[in-house]
Amino acid sequence: MDEIKIVIVDDSSFSIAFLRDIFERNGLKVVGEAGTLEEVVSVVKETKPTLVTMDMTLPGTDGLECTRAIHQIDENIKVIVVSSMMDDEIVNEAKKNKVSAYVQKPVDEDELMTAIRRVMAADELFAFLESEYLPVFKEALMDSLNRMTKTVPTSEKVFVSGSEFKSEGITSIIGIIGKFSGRMLLDMSADTADNLVKAILKREPKSMDETIAVIGEFANIISGNACSILNGKNKALGLRVAPPAMLHGDSILISAPNFTTKSVAAETAFGLIWLNAGFQRGEEKWT
Amino acid sequence: MDLKYVSPFMESFENVMPQLGYGNITKGGACFKEQEIINSGVSVIIGIVGKLRGNVVYGLSQAAAKSVASTMMGMEVEELDDMSKSALSELANMLTAGAATLFYDLGLPVDISTPTLLQGENIGIKMSANQVCCVELYADDIKIDVNVAFEK
Repeated sequence: MDEIKIVIVDDSSFSIAFLRDIFERNGLKVVGEAGTLEEVVSVVKETKPTLVTMDMTLPGTDGLECTRAIHQIDENIKVIVVSSMMDDEIVNEAKKNKVSAYVQKPVDEDELMTAIRRVMAADELFAFLESEYLPVFKEALMDSLNRMTKTVPTSEKVFVSGSEFKSEGITSIIGIIGKFSGRMLLDMSADTADNLVKAILKREPKSMDETIAVIGEFANIISGNACSILNGKNKALGLRVAPPAMLHGDSILISAPNFTTKSVAAETAFGLIWLNAGFQRGEEKWT
Repeated sequence: MDLKYVSPFMESFENVMPQLGYGNITKGGACFKEQEIINSGVSVIIGIVGKLRGNVVYGLSQAAAKSVASTMMGMEVEELDDMSKSALSELANMLTAGAATLFYDLGLPVDISTPTLLQGENIGIKMSANQVCCVELYADDIKIDVNVAFEK
């Protein structure tokens, strides 16, 4: 774990001292403390913490309002609520406000440290997935193409996509589920699909339905292989794929509004094939 | 495909839409389709994996999509910009997550993928299951087509 910088938000000097002692004993660095909304905003802006512990009841504000203010400054800052109040309603509100974990006072040192380690491990795992996934999906595309058609692309380019792009005509969408959820899509023109399917089947496809079914299976193999390789690199990812949904049309605009995706454009003997994939940080699964 | 796999989506719709301010939730026609479905306007697709494997596709006309986005954002949406698409994806996410919770209660735990949003006229959508179950659901005068396909 990189150095974890913590800000403690609490209106009780006893609680602050108590938490500070726990963190320092465990080698974490406390960079600031705050007891009001104004203090939270200024301390967080100034110290850029990795993590904030948040009391729920604060003078003139509450833990949720402060959490929203923190995420407006930087949505990557993790907030762990440390509060004497804990019931279903308040926990649900905390989840809605993107709180990463909830620890009840009186604080048990092991419980608090376990919550912090879990929250930070999830962060590292996501960073790992973000850095690894595109090369793996690209390799799975190349490998499946090679094994099913005995060809390799003449060129391929990798790039980070905007939130939106226009389909070439036929798209396979495959939902991905696991520790983080995401999706892969494979896009190509109807001509490319036709050429590719002829090469895979070594005959003319019988119908458009058959072409679409073969492309769906091709996409399914790529996503399945890629997710298996990623799971092999880190089994905590636990990625699994949904069956492909196949779309076709003249001018389909595809968006992934809430997360960034990355693409590979592969120029093949059959035409251009686009592979686009992305994962969402999503909500923490609370234990 | 059994109709019981569709009721959690209907129940989730009944739970979620009033939270957004819709008062009158009703059900229109339901049918099974073996062919592909055709959607015009906005479609949002979410993959489902667990005890059940499949996809759900929510279909809204362009006008319905704008109206729902306006309601969710509390301001008139003229064009579907990034923010309104984000709101519509979030709606699909909430509806599907709600259904997932109900599936869990039925002893069928499932997880859901991130939503993908598509726009276009006459988009043909084919899902891997033999049958797609389609239900028209209404929140006031807004119609949302819910198309569910599971592999069994």
